[in-house]
Amino acid sequence: MTNTLSIGRGKRTRNAVTAPPRSARTARPPWQEPPTTIGQAAKGLTLGGVLAVVLVPLWIIVVTSFSTPGAVNRAGGMVIWPDGLTVEAYRAMLDNPTVLTALLVSLGITGVGTAVSMVVSILCAYGLSRPRSLGHRFILLLLVVTMFVGGGLIPTFLVVTGLGGYDQWWALILPSAVSVFNILVLRAFYSETSAELIDAARMDGAGDWRILWSVVLPTSRAVTAVIALFYGVGYWNSFFNVMLYMPTDSQKWPLQYVLLTYVNRGNGMPGSVNSGFGSTHAQTAPLSLQMAVVVLTLVPLVVVYPFIQKHLRTGVLTGAIKG
Amino acid sequence: MTTELNRRRFLSAGASIAGAVAMAPLLSACGGGSHQKTGANTSSGLKAALPAFLSSTALTPDIASVTGGADAATDPGFLSYPAAPAATVSGPPGKGGSYTAVTPLWGTVPQPGNSFYQAMNKALGVNLTMKPADGNNYHTIVPTMTAAKKLPDWINLPAWWNPNFNTGELARTQFADLTPHLSGDNVKKYPNLAALPTGAWQTGVWGDKLYGIPCFATTFPGPGGVFHRRDLLESHGITNAQVKSPADLMNLGKELTDAKRGVWAFDDVWTYLYPSFGAPVKWKVDNGKLVHLFETQEFLEALDWHYRLATSGYMHPDALAGDGANQGTRFYAGKVLIAGGGLGAWNLADYQSGVAADPNYRRGAFDILTADGKSTPVAYMGAPSSMISYLNADLKPDQIAELLAVANYLAAPYGSAEYTMTNFGVEGVHHNRVNGVPTFTDEGKKNVQATTFPFLSSSSSVISNPGGDVVTKDYSAWQAANVKALVKPPFWAMNYSMPQDIATAEAAQAVNDTIIDCYHGKKKVSDVQAAVSTWKSGQGARLKRWMTENVLDKYGAGQ
Amino acid sequence: MSTARSERRASPTRLSRRIRLRRDKSLLLMTIPAVVLLLVFNYAPLFGLVTAFQSYDPLVGVWHSDWVGLDQFQALFGDPLFWESMKNTLYLSCVQLVLFFPIPIALALLLNSVLSERMRNFIQSVLYLPHFFSWVLALTIFQQMLGGAGLLNQFLRQHGIGTWDIMTDPHTFALLVTSQAIWKEAGWGIIVFLAALSAINTELYEAAAADGAGRWRRMWHITLPGLRGVVMLMLVLRLGNALSVGFEQFLIQRTAVGHDAADVLDTFSFYYGIAAGNYSYGAAAGLFKSLVSLLLLWGANRLAHAFGEDGLYRK
Repeated sequence: MTNTLSIGRGKRTRNAVTAPPRSARTARPPWQEPPTTIGQAAKGLTLGGVLAVVLVPLWIIVVTSFSTPGAVNRAGGMVIWPDGLTVEAYRAMLDNPTVLTALLVSLGITGVGTAVSMVVSILCAYGLSRPRSLGHRFILLLLVVTMFVGGGLIPTFLVVTGLGGYDQWWALILPSAVSVFNILVLRAFYSETSAELIDAARMDGAGDWRILWSVVLPTSRAVTAVIALFYGVGYWNSFFNVMLYMPTDSQKWPLQYVLLTYVNRGNGMPGSVNSGFGSTHAQTAPLSLQMAVVVLTLVPLVVVYPFIQKHLRTGVLTGAIKG
Repeated sequence: MTTELNRRRFLSAGASIAGAVAMAPLLSACGGGSHQKTGANTSSGLKAALPAFLSSTALTPDIASVTGGADAATDPGFLSYPAAPAATVSGPPGKGGSYTAVTPLWGTVPQPGNSFYQAMNKALGVNLTMKPADGNNYHTIVPTMTAAKKLPDWINLPAWWNPNFNTGELARTQFADLTPHLSGDNVKKYPNLAALPTGAWQTGVWGDKLYGIPCFATTFPGPGGVFHRRDLLESHGITNAQVKSPADLMNLGKELTDAKRGVWAFDDVWTYLYPSFGAPVKWKVDNGKLVHLFETQEFLEALDWHYRLATSGYMHPDALAGDGANQGTRFYAGKVLIAGGGLGAWNLADYQSGVAADPNYRRGAFDILTADGKSTPVAYMGAPSSMISYLNADLKPDQIAELLAVANYLAAPYGSAEYTMTNFGVEGVHHNRVNGVPTFTDEGKKNVQATTFPFLSSSSSVISNPGGDVVTKDYSAWQAANVKALVKPPFWAMNYSMPQDIATAEAAQAVNDTIIDCYHGKKKVSDVQAAVSTWKSGQGARLKRWMTENVLDKYGAGQ
Repeated sequence: MSTARSERRASPTRLSRRIRLRRDKSLLLMTIPAVVLLLVFNYAPLFGLVTAFQSYDPLVGVWHSDWVGLDQFQALFGDPLFWESMKNTLYLSCVQLVLFFPIPIALALLLNSVLSERMRNFIQSVLYLPHFFSWVLALTIFQQMLGGAGLLNQFLRQHGIGTWDIMTDPHTFALLVTSQAIWKEAGWGIIVFLAALSAINTELYEAAAADGAGRWRRMWHITLPGLRGVVMLMLVLRLGNALSVGFEQFLIQRTAVGHDAADVLDTFSFYYGIAAGNYSYGAAAGLFKSLVSLLLLWGANRLAHAFGEDGLYRK
């Protein structure tokens, strides 16, 4: 097991972190034979197909959310080509207190949760990153064990409810606040932070808190951003804990649960006209409105993603993932 | 006690989880454990717990109730609505207390804090927070609440989920004992509750104590029906009188199915048709011995018929694929013409949805069939109230009294001022009088039509569909034609709590799932027989022994 | 690396505990929040596993529930539904291993051969995107594309071809969930393989090309061996997780396709444990799954060692 503790310190990690990937390569190296036309075509087709599989559904959903009822009718459902556009669905969605409340709840949980997770994880990662500090091997072991051994669904549920977490906000945040994997990624980076800088800071009489704040954090912005994205996405996407801990309190539902209930399961949205006992699937909210909710859950990701994607590419994570 | 100590085989089993070992000394300290009190109500205890019955001065129905056998009677039918509803309660019943209530809701959840909730709170004199939860997932929601010990002040637990919820045990430990408030003449403080039929109260009694308030009590607890599109069948010249037996029904398949036009004769019918083959709902008593449904010949005959139906091409492919959610849509669109279902479907909202899809829409149901088409038809009665609400044990006696006064308001009879308020909201806001009958406004459709308060307490069922008289007439006529067939099955309306493993055995998931596969044509009758014999040798035998020893031998089969 | 390690306390001699404690006080303090959270939400539930040996009654709590020894496990092993979900889990695991596992590798190889850096970056960004979608969102997208009222059937209906509702068909469910998993996660999966590819020394290719090795020979003799370590590692992880095929994905789709096809071990614990109020039963299923998973992880790692690879941890 001790060898597990060398996660993030191996030879591969160093490669990934210090040596830049061959992304600088653009031109064909001289030793490589020129590509064949068929090969190029096949490659282009495959990659084009792969891209289409991801992007086309998103396109269709966005177009449908902006379509007029007439366009939806003519298309017989999902709209592929814009054919009469309107923002009516978005207006209706934001007029609906259910969606608006859910949006605020989601933003709140994601904001608070990410902040808690980041503080806890950064502190812990730095606390474990200094070599030969007292007890760090034991604590590391304590952390790593949880990656492989867990109580599972029911005991966790019993612990959270036993602590009075039912119908409480913290039940959506604290049980998943710590990701050992993320701590290990951070730790791998902090271990790499330039020794000279830290030594110099220490000479100046800086304590560990000071070093973390003014030396380590500023030199590891990329990894901080990526880990924050991971935590944020985790909170933004969670719905099962809502199903477990607050299934009756519809005013505390986050957006994902609203999406599940009113779009995926097709239940009528609160405040929409009831269509009768047991036949709600027949007349759900208009398709555009549903798709607008789908788009709404995508928006935060689309806003944040461009700022972080380059870090994802530059091999920030590869070291620890391999560990 | 000794048996429990013996059951602690845990330590001797040699398992060595550190936590358990650490807990070992504690085991002897807390000997009590959870000894479930299992079994049914005693007849004297039951009698002592039940409220007295005081009939109220109800309105005279337009279609009078018809009595049948076995205490059954049709629900009274109303075609008109009183112009000036009379009040049965003076002033708001509450004293301003704050409570939360959880009810199942199949349909669109009203907006929290909407105008109807506010109006009701004002009328009730309490601050009642309604939390309707998705009925389709209700059986997974309630157990999480139970485990977290976060049951609300007032909750509705449908009786058919009693084994899932372990309702008997919940009642004993979590729910308020209403016996001192309601038993015998005590109920007279709450005249509308006193007017609920005694049989319905019986479904709320556990361990000789009264815990539950019955909702939607009915004297016609029919098991459901085999519905059909009366308009479309009549256009084929088919009437109820021509269909007496499953064989007749099968013959309709060929005549009505037109797959090219996307029309199939049948949707799922199993649940509502198998008793017509002479099979018991769950048990029958034969020479003082219990016989389970799975062991009967009639059960196999029913299965065989349904398997033939599934493989005949007369069933809609979506139904065969197990898509029950869109059954209503298929029925409205005329894609299927015959479908089984609960009797609750025969209502105004159904009529409105149907007419929206097809102006000629008219729902009908076959009369109870018999296997040979000649003998006397038999339909087994369901519980006299299948929706029961409970109060939290943490409430103080005066809080219980306050909520019972609220329940009394909600249970006001058809046509009263309180009934109008609970079911149609405020006139001018939630409903208007159109041709004299209350008709929902859009605000009413949003927030009132989705039934919420009646799941806490409601008066005896009546058949009333303001604006859809044809529904009331058809349904009343069907009830009258079939009320004679109603029979009480063994253990009818007997609340018995069972240990978890016996409840699991009774649920017989594996067999029931194979049955579904069989009537969808995916597994053969012999596969079901195999599943039954596995079940019978283990769980089934234990279930039967337990039922015999703890219920049949001690309390009889009811009936 | 050695500089980084000895950067702080150059002295190799062991200092006394007290001195080290004073020195590292703030470091230890920093780890406390995370350790406390893990103790409460990860370690405490481990002790909660004792409920698997009880007939746990939430009304009286874990201290007062009856002990039943191995009764829960006995019932579990006699439950056809449990074996059904076990069968589903293993079957889905196999299907995913065969259909899912090679795709990220192939995609990584393909992407690596794209010369334009800007193109590569763009493709990478798009491919990573679905990984950040929730399952609710991903399945909603699938429903709108392939479901009964979705785009595909819309097209089929308009052209008079019969409809095909793959979202509710239990027979093809294994393929459906695998394609969902591929759509959502295969793009993200290439990240490790890309890193491994970038770590292969370019000079090797150059030398091989000089020796006359063609495109395919170079891939066979240089690229694939270079990927071997990370492929083995991913395989070990996949095998170790063979009993975890996903939870939310199945939970959401269970009503549509029926439990017969959709129940896996994790949903079994939820539906027959929590939702049925039969906590000990579900806990027993969970415990059984954890034990088998640990065994699988250990076994897969042994296998990796046998192939001369590191696996998850070294020998």
